[in-house]
Amino acid sequence: MRRLAALAAVALLAASCGDDDDGAGSDLDGITVFAAASLTEVFQEIAPNARFNFAGSDELATQIREGAPVDVYAAASPRHPDELFEEGLLEEPRIFATNRLVLIVPADNPAGIESVEDLAADGVKLVVGAEGVPVGDYTRAVLENMGMTGVLDNVASNEEDVKGVVGKITSGAADAGFVYATDATAAGDDVEAIELPEAAQAAVQYPIAVVAGSENAGAAQGFVDLVLGENGREALATAGFALP
Amino acid sequence: MRRAFDVAFAFAAGLALAFLLLPVLALFVRIAPGDLFDALWSDVALDALWVSLKTGLIAHFFVLLVGTPAAYFLATRRFRGRGVLITLVELPLVLPPAVAGIALLALFSRRGLLGQELYALGIQIPLTQVAVVIAVAFVAAPFYVRQAIASFETLDQALIDASRTLGASPARTFWRIALPLSATGLGAGSALAWARGTGEFGATIMFAGSLQGLTQTMPLAIYAQLDLDPDIAIAIGALLVLVSLTVLLSVKLLPSWTRFTSTSLIRSAPSGSS
Amino acid sequence: MDALYVNLAHPLRSFRLELELEAGRETVALVGPSGAGKTTVLRAIAGLLRPAEGRIAFDGETWFDAKAKIDLPPERRSVGLVFQEYALFPHMTVAENVAYAGPRRVDELLELLGIAALRDVSPGELSGGERQRVAVARALARDPAVLLLDEPLAALDAHTRARVRAELGELLPRLGLPTLLVTHDFQDAAALAGRVGVLVDGRIVQEGTAPELVASPTSPFVADFTGGNLLRGTARPGASGLTEVELENGTRIFSTDRLEGHVGAVVYPWEVAVAREAPTDSAQNHVAGPIVSLVPVANRVRIRVGPLTAEITAASADRLGLRQGEPVVASFKATGTRLVPLA
Repeated sequence: MRRLAALAAVALLAASCGDDDDGAGSDLDGITVFAAASLTEVFQEIAPNARFNFAGSDELATQIREGAPVDVYAAASPRHPDELFEEGLLEEPRIFATNRLVLIVPADNPAGIESVEDLAADGVKLVVGAEGVPVGDYTRAVLENMGMTGVLDNVASNEEDVKGVVGKITSGAADAGFVYATDATAAGDDVEAIELPEAAQAAVQYPIAVVAGSENAGAAQGFVDLVLGENGREALATAGFALP
Repeated sequence: MRRAFDVAFAFAAGLALAFLLLPVLALFVRIAPGDLFDALWSDVALDALWVSLKTGLIAHFFVLLVGTPAAYFLATRRFRGRGVLITLVELPLVLPPAVAGIALLALFSRRGLLGQELYALGIQIPLTQVAVVIAVAFVAAPFYVRQAIASFETLDQALIDASRTLGASPARTFWRIALPLSATGLGAGSALAWARGTGEFGATIMFAGSLQGLTQTMPLAIYAQLDLDPDIAIAIGALLVLVSLTVLLSVKLLPSWTRFTSTSLIRSAPSGSS
Repeated sequence: MDALYVNLAHPLRSFRLELELEAGRETVALVGPSGAGKTTVLRAIAGLLRPAEGRIAFDGETWFDAKAKIDLPPERRSVGLVFQEYALFPHMTVAENVAYAGPRRVDELLELLGIAALRDVSPGELSGGERQRVAVARALARDPAVLLLDEPLAALDAHTRARVRAELGELLPRLGLPTLLVTHDFQDAAALAGRVGVLVDGRIVQEGTAPELVASPTSPFVADFTGGNLLRGTARPGASGLTEVELENGTRIFSTDRLEGHVGAVVYPWEVAVAREAPTDSAQNHVAGPIVSLVPVANRVRIRVGPLTAEITAASADRLGLRQGEPVVASFKATGTRLVPLA
């Protein structure tokens, strides 16, 4: 259902695109965007003509440091963009969306997980992001806020990006996993999402910035503007992101 | 003209060597030996080494145990569909690791072909160390079996026949004649399979997941450490090279003490001693 | 009774192999051209090949019976098979090879075959003759009831062959085992076997002792195979007990055999005399012509005169001072001229 709504929104977006952002739309051909895995679906809807590399934000930061030719960087936490900004490799990052964590289980919920407490049961196979990957760090922060770090004993795999976690759930290999709400939306009927207490949520902030030394600075800025602008915000909202 | 030919080919050889060796060399030279050594003794590296060795050896053991008689059977029996069967056995060879991972999940996950029965019995394979063993064996086995079939096929049938007419059962013939005479080829296949298994990444990460000390093999650890602590990643890479080198060298040593000339078709100097 | 009984039928490439034979404590040779099915027979007896039909038994114990669906594997048949290329195990020493079937008689057999000094040598370092002896010793180590030899001398060079043939000729009778040997060389068969069966296109066309086959070949093939000249012609039995044969080239010869129609006259080279002029003895047949070729073979000389090959001693050839191209007369007795029917 949410998928259908998202598609409808995109259709509207595409229709409205023709009026205002004609110039920006065509300029986006050929720019390279490194973005956190959780942005996979929504970024491709916003700018289908750009070249994307979706992975864990930490891995992308490493590649930028090694000199990969990239124009825009969008991460799932401020940590890496701030570091890169201090190293002079990135323009000043701006927060364009926030997200929240949810607990997902396979659609048929074979382990009968109803809450975070249920994750502590014997034999439960839990999958989380690895330390250093934003979703992994967020997960551990949330569990600490809830005083439930004990469930980490049941971790069966540390994934290098959030899509890895999603994959383990949809393939039925694991019983439960922590992902972003937007990922749960994107996975649709294959997973069931369990909301986490608002008070325990970590501040999941998504910064975006143009990479210093980009050869397509103009088009890169155009992409950033698009994301921060009305059309971008609409797409993000539909996908389940919260807006600053 | 001939000179130019020689030079060009020598140059190509040099280029190829450099291309293959420089990255490996860089592993050992990139960070100071002291740092390399420290990184090697980190928990992550040692855990990865332990997981790789343990799962690798178990997987290899089963590959040899089941693969050798299977290869012998396929190599020496003629039956309908033999060619097709051999091609199927070689299939995982050309399967991309990711496909291997998906395939194993399709078989063993909760809704999988066998998984349904196994889960009902309380046996959950994905995301366990057993899954690593299975993934490694799955990708490595075809390398060994294919080489073993080739080795057994080149056996001189006359020697097998001779053994049988001398009173040896098919089992004794296999043990005392077929196996020793094929040792060199089997050793080469074994080394190849070991190398492939140790380096397995895609199928392992999808089917067994990555958990330090349990399922995080050396390649998985390199991937995990790349962004966290590059020194450790490099150290584990260097370790993998050393392990592979050891295996390669021991296989090279094998033929020298199991040196066999070709079977009975040698014609040495006629009318020797009386 | 320690006898080997073989009766089998099996389709081969272009014909059907069908034979029946028995061997007691003797050496029987199966001779014939390559592809006649000789090796197939040995493999069938050893159990390496399952014939389409038949029965193979030794001393009352059935090893193979198509109808009764009995087919003992090689290891359960008491055979010793010496392979044409010897098939020695390259990763074992001579002693280990011989001991493969059983360690009991190793020393004794090494002595018997005269290879005791080679016990720790690897097969790759042996000469052909030595390898053959190891192969025989190895086959005997099994204490087989039947000994099978596949072209035992074929893999040897000419010099070694003569020596090994003599040694084998001495050894086989001493062993006293029913022995079946297979060869494409009639001389080998004659030297080693008591009885010889000629196998052509899957069938035994004649069986007997070697001298019998030479004396009375019943088919052109046997005649040719045993080394005889075959002259084609038309026979007309005469009143005096002699049969006149008009050869294709017009020459007339006589034979004491009685046959009519298309025949082959068989004359053995060593029964042909060569002289510069025809001898006056009219009981002889004469073929005149120039010497086409002169080939010394050991201490004899093979001379081709017209359609005939004669074999005389080197001494005689020297005495006559024969040269290629010179006209001579080849003579042979009517009693030594055998006739075989031609198809």
